[in-house]
Amino acid sequence: MTRGTGRILSAFLAAAVGLCILFPASAPAARDVAAELRKERGRLLEMKEREEKTALELTEALRKEKLSKGRVGELRERLARQRSLLSRIDRKVSVLNERLERAEKAVRELEAAHGQARTDLRRAEVVAFTGERAGAGDPCHPSARERERHFMRVYLAADAEGVARITRARERKEEELSGLERQVAVTERKRTQEKKVGDTLLSRQEEERRRLADIEREKKRKEKELKSLRAKIARMESVVSRVERQVKERERRARKGAAGGSAAREPAEDPRRFASLSGGLSAPLAGKVVTRFGRQHDTTFDVTIENRGVEIEAPSGAPVKSVGQGEVAFAGAVSGFGNVLIVQHGGGLFSVYGRLETFLVKQGEAVKKGAVVGSLPGSPSGKSVLYLELRAGGTAIDPASAIPLDR
Amino acid sequence: MSERPSLWWIDWRLSRPPLVRETIGRFLYFCLLGFALLSLLLSGGASRFLADRYAITAVLRAEVPPAGAEGLARKVAGLPPVRSAAYRDPEAAWAEFLRAYPGLDPLRGAGGNPMQGYIEIRIRPDRLTGADVDLVTSALRSVPLVEQVLAGDEWLPRLLRAGRLASLACWGIFGAFLAGFFLVGRLQERARALALAGDFAFLAERGVPARRLAFFRAAAAAVSGFLLAAAGTAAGGGALFLSLRKFPFLEGAIGPPSDLLLPRTIAAVALFSCGAALLSAAASLLGWRAARSVRK
Repeated sequence: MTRGTGRILSAFLAAAVGLCILFPASAPAARDVAAELRKERGRLLEMKEREEKTALELTEALRKEKLSKGRVGELRERLARQRSLLSRIDRKVSVLNERLERAEKAVRELEAAHGQARTDLRRAEVVAFTGERAGAGDPCHPSARERERHFMRVYLAADAEGVARITRARERKEEELSGLERQVAVTERKRTQEKKVGDTLLSRQEEERRRLADIEREKKRKEKELKSLRAKIARMESVVSRVERQVKERERRARKGAAGGSAAREPAEDPRRFASLSGGLSAPLAGKVVTRFGRQHDTTFDVTIENRGVEIEAPSGAPVKSVGQGEVAFAGAVSGFGNVLIVQHGGGLFSVYGRLETFLVKQGEAVKKGAVVGSLPGSPSGKSVLYLELRAGGTAIDPASAIPLDR
Repeated sequence: MSERPSLWWIDWRLSRPPLVRETIGRFLYFCLLGFALLSLLLSGGASRFLADRYAITAVLRAEVPPAGAEGLARKVAGLPPVRSAAYRDPEAAWAEFLRAYPGLDPLRGAGGNPMQGYIEIRIRPDRLTGADVDLVTSALRSVPLVEQVLAGDEWLPRLLRAGRLASLACWGIFGAFLAGFFLVGRLQERARALALAGDFAFLAERGVPARRLAFFRAAAAAVSGFLLAAAGTAAGGGALFLSLRKFPFLEGAIGPPSDLLLPRTIAAVALFSCGAALLSAAASLLGWRAARSVRK
């Protein structure tokens, strides 16, 4: 955002600077206009700084918003997972409770059956005992009595086995019940823990949402401010254009005034095209165009930017050459562009080189086409960017249309 | 020509009324003895009674099917000492158990019937001995279908000993009655000899030897004794037959009426009649001798 917006504003700034430089070169007599231009330049610089600061703040707000949105999304996902986990735990608890109820019911039934079986066994033992004491069966049939006693033993053994079986079943069920109770307790603890985690996540999400809302408000405010600044800059540009027209008009009048004496010696110099420059133009350095000329859509900020020049990516420290023959009109630092060099090619043609590390020429020094005028700064990534802008008659033109550049 | 008088039935001709009384008495006595004799012959003393109450129980395993149990019962019934072998299924065992221990049925409402089926084996009365019982039980124990054999190992020897004693007692009583018959008969013969002593002296004076007289008297007593014993035993047998028919429960102790017509029973009756004849003859001789000694 900073780069894009800075580029837009810097374009206007460069134009203004160019005009500022042009003005003393073409009409040194119009001091009031020059003063006005300087004044406007100062205001433009100030506005540019404010705009740059606002853009930086907006960028920061957007970064925070993106970060916050990411956090909110992450929290939402974690909350969804947490809710899913809680739901699973609830289902598990429900299933465990059902099993627990069934097991408890089975234990109760087994206890009842056990009690009944024990009572029956005791009664059978009483019957057997009293029968034995009373000489149950027909004493005249000892074999039958012996058989009946055997059957009584079988009966008691079967009853005792039944009691033992029920006892074992009850013990197994009780063990199962204990296990289920332990499982329920563990699951309940886990549910409590997960619920706490869920509550924490929820509160964090709420907090993050509040923060996001703050960021949104801040962003809107900054966008509004930025819009206002852009409007101001546009107005400023119109002012600069007006001043530029005034300068041109004065130049034209000055040339007419001088025509009385030396009109035959020197014909009027009309604005020319870059293609008509003697020797043509050459690329300032070998590199790839990374930012094109004209209206471009910035996906980062979701805004449309009007580029007045191009940006060429080249190795760090690469030498920058003049695209054509001319005279250095300006060499100095411009906020947002670093060191800026402007070469006047005559006929209202200017070439602007921004983001330089060093200047190898001085203001007013004549340069030839291909002459090294500066160099790009160093960078940890090994790549640096040169800002190149061509202006003809006060209008920025696409450098790629006049210079063969690698796109 | 001198005609020698017949000495056959001399007593009958000399003293008819007392002899009729004695004959009636002896017949009735032989009826009683015949009844007792046939009862003892049929029952074998206490053997039939005990055999009717004693049974070997072969408890089968729970998984034995009814068809297998029936087959095993048939095989067991083929053993020589065995009178009968009957299979009782678990339901019958359960019913029998509940009859012995009423009130247990509702206690096993959910438990079902825990009893196994069994085979009840009864021994022939004449084979109710320890050896025969051992033979049957050892045969049963070797069968895999049989889980347990209940043969009264604890009380069977006592039962058999009691049975032997009871049989001896019965036969002893019978023998005592026979001895009583003999003694009474001797007394009667002596009394009659004394009563007819004058007549016998008259005959002796006319050349009838006393020895011959005694012989004929003994012979007549033997014949009458045989006939009376046979008739009395037959009458007693008839009474026994009627009793057994009228009171079937007696069959358990005595035996079926049909056994009365078995050859061995008839032979035993004939032997008894012969014995009675001998006893009658002996009583006559001894009574004669006792009367002679009194006269001297």
